[in-house]
Order: sequence, then C-alpha cells, then structure tokens
Amino acid sequence: MAIDSDLAARLAMQYEPATYRRRIAGHDVIIHCHHYNARLQRTIEGARGIDGKGIIVGAAETVFADQLARALRPDDDEARRWAVAELLYRHLGFGRIDLSQVGAGIVTADSSHFVEGWLAGLGESADNVCSFTEGYVQGAVYAVTGAAVRVREVECMARGAERCRFEVDRGERPPVTPNRKEPPIPAPREPGAGWLRSPHVDEQAIIDAVVGMPMVGDDAGLIPAFSVYLANMPADFYNRICIGFVEAMRGLGRDKTAIRLLVSDAEHCGMNTFRGIMHSPEWDGLIAPMVRDRADALHAIIAISNALGWGDWHVTAHTPRSLALESRYGYEAVGYREFRGLAAAPQCAMLTGVAAGVMELVYGEGTVEERYGTFSAREERCVSCGEASCNFAVEQVE
Amino acid sequence: MRREKVPACVHPETYKYFLDRDAVIPTWQRLAARWGEPRHNTSFRTMEIAAPRFTLRSTVLGNPITVLRRRECTADDVAELHALLGYRE
Ligand SMILES: [Zn+2]
Ligand SMILES: [Zn+2]
Repeated sequence: MAIDSDLAARLAMQYEPATYRRRIAGHDVIIHCHHYNARLQRTIEGARGIDGKGIIVGAAETVFADQLARALRPDDDEARRWAVAELLYRHLGFGRIDLSQVGAGIVTADSSHFVEGWLAGLGESADNVCSFTEGYVQGAVYAVTGAAVRVREVECMARGAERCRFEVDRGERPPVTPNRKEPPIPAPREPGAGWLRSPHVDEQAIIDAVVGMPMVGDDAGLIPAFSVYLANMPADFYNRICIGFVEAMRGLGRDKTAIRLLVSDAEHCGMNTFRGIMHSPEWDGLIAPMVRDRADALHAIIAISNALGWGDWHVTAHTPRSLALESRYGYEAVGYREFRGLAAAPQCAMLTGVAAGVMELVYGEGTVEERYGTFSAREERCVSCGEASCNFAVEQVE
Repeated sequence: MRREKVPACVHPETYKYFLDRDAVIPTWQRLAARWGEPRHNTSFRTMEIAAPRFTLRSTVLGNPITVLRRRECTADDVAELHALLGYRE
C-alpha cells in the first residue's frame, strides 16, 4: 500500500532530546535488535511451570490494540483501518503481514523480525516462534473491529515454511485487557552533572546521527542497520512481559532466577549487538575515527544506546576493571512505576545486563561465550524505588 | 582481494570484502549498473546499494564493502555478486 502523507504523519516519530525518548503513535518505543528480542522470548517461553507464551501474546495484544487505536481516525473506513494495522507492523520493523484475508480467518507473513532473530541466534526451532505476531494480530482485530479473537500460528518460517500462517478463531473469549497505567513520572529537568566524557568522542554527533537515521521498516518490514535487524518496540510491551514474567515466577518462588535470566539475556545482547555495531560500516564511517582507545569505544557505545532510547545513562566512573553508570529515565524503572507503583527492589534488568556485557565486549578477549560472566553488574539504586536515578556498578570478576 | 567474516549480524554468512585500491571505482560502477546508484548517508559517512537479496554498504571511501545477505539469498545470488566484485573463493 502506498504511504500517503496522512498515514506518514500518524506514524511519524517524535524525539524528546531531554530523555532520548522516541514516540510513535502515542507510545514510547525502544530500539533493540533481533538477537535480544528472540532471546528474551526464548527465556520467557522456555521457563517451566508458567505460561510464558501467554505473557507474550497477551502483552502484544494489549499494547498494540492501544497503539493502533491511537493511529486510527474516526473517519477511517474498515479497509483503511486494516491498512494502518499492516503498515504499523511494517513501519516498526517487525516484518510484513498480510491481513487481506483476515475476514476468512487467515493471516500470513512472509518476513519476520522474530524469525530472523531466532534463526540468526538460536537456530531452527522445533516450534512455531511467532507468538509476538499472534498477539499483534489479536490486538489489530480488536482495534479494527472491536472483537476479541484468538490467533494461532499454524506454519512458521522458523521451521522451514515458506511463510508464517495464522488462523483466527472467533470463538468466545474474555475481552482484551486495557493498557491501564499511571501517568509517567516526570522526566528530570536539570541537566546532569559529574559525568565522565571522552575528549575524542563527540557523543552528540553520534546521537544526532542515530536519531537522524530513518529507523523504519523497508519493503520487507525489516530495519537492517549497524549490521543487525532493529525494531521499534513499545516500552510498554517490554515492561509488561518482564514484569509479568518475574511475577509469574514469583508464584513458584523463582523470581530471583527470573531476574537473573533477564539480566543474562541483556548481557548477551550487550555483547552481540554492539559487537555487530562495532563491525558495521556505520561505525567505520562515523565512530571509528573518534576512537583512540577502549575507553573511547565504551563512551561511543553508551552514546549509541542512549540514542536507541535505553535509559538516558551516563558514565560516572570508569577503569578497565570497573564501571559506574547513572541512568535518569530508563524505561524499565519508569515503566515499573507506571504499572506497579513503587518497587521494593531495583527493576532494571536490561540495563544491568548490558552494563556488564559492554565491559566484557570492550575489555574482554575471546568469543562471546568466553567473555560472558567475566564482569558482574548490580543496580545499587533505582528510580522504581523512588530514588532520583538508577545507579549501576560493574566489576571484573576475579 | 580478500574477505573477512563479520560476527553477530543479520545473517551468519556476513562478510566484508576488501577491494584492491584501483578496483574500488569500477567495482561500484558495476554494482550500480546492476542494482542502481548508491544512496549516501551523510551523517554516518556511508553509502549503500539495496539489492533485493542483499544490502551492500561501505563508508564513503567505498572500501571495504559489507554484504548483508537476506535469508532468501541463494548460492546463485552470491555467485552473481562475486562475479561483479571479482571475488573468487
Ligand atoms: Zn512464524
Ligand atoms: Zn533502575
């Protein structure tokens, strides 16, 4: 479908420089890569004794029903509403879905961010992997028609099918959960102080370049940038699946394990994503000329992660064996406050894991697996607990 | 010319192709004749040609060329590209 100026305006990204947040159709979106998204899904769905798949499908349904409702206009006819649903999916970088036969109960997808992530990082799968798309389509049917349906994937490219194929079941089911949350806590107004910078690394030039990139899906609905596939994921989706996962595991007395698993996924992500980025032509063109030593590389990586919307975080102390970071508006902490109120313990598993992963990448040697676990990170204070900022301490493991 | 494998990317078979210095301009001319003129990204100082089965991307210097294959990319696609690049395995 051609993207007219009206649709382009509905899905245009608004960038908030004070917090590095990106907003599309009323939702803050966070850019992560296919490695992280597939790994996170495997962790949540692979945990025994909980309905991990239900957590992912339910979160996608709720969040995209809401985001799509904000992208629709009262005078859109039904054809246009379906077109917006197809377009938002592609625009955000999740791939390409065909909703033209949804009335007959059939949806297909010939390109998928999650399938790419699964095949690149985790190998062929014994099961269909597109839980996220099932939830997205459920949310889309709800936003377009008001009906709560179940969508089940029956063929998947991750298992060798030519395209993913979904069936829509219109039997009785409870209504879609609304995306209810408290308003976000205010973003910090004062400029930060006491942050370390490298004299060689122009962080603002890096951030401007990344923010200026057209981070929207191509014809296939994919965003190949920095030699990985990126996607614009609503922060509410990440927060819903991670909070839901930890709470479900708490029911089994395993919430500490759940948090450890989420930190571990991010630690792998920190290494894999940024290793891809450091080998990319974009890095060679803009960033490599600024990098004289490993500390410079670390500052450049933190600048990129800020531009991706991860957390408004900054280096406060740094040696080759240790790192301290302060995050002022991380999506995990802010999201926890929106969904659950004040927390009893720090909540920023993604930033904690990435902090360790980045040190392992910059100062470690050998393969990703050899580097994994050679630094440990902990979050000492967290916005979710009412503190003014989240603070992370990373140390080399002796 | 030679190529180097690049880790952790969109496709497990991702390589940077290092062209001989005097081959850079004619190689990009051949690639542009086949798949269209490169697009420039001024803030990253990169340029790229988006072909249906892969993306060819480099810094503005044109060398090395990172080839990001799509999953549908076949052995024939790679052979055609290698012929244009002048790369022999
Ligand atoms: Zn699938
Ligand atoms: Zn925190």
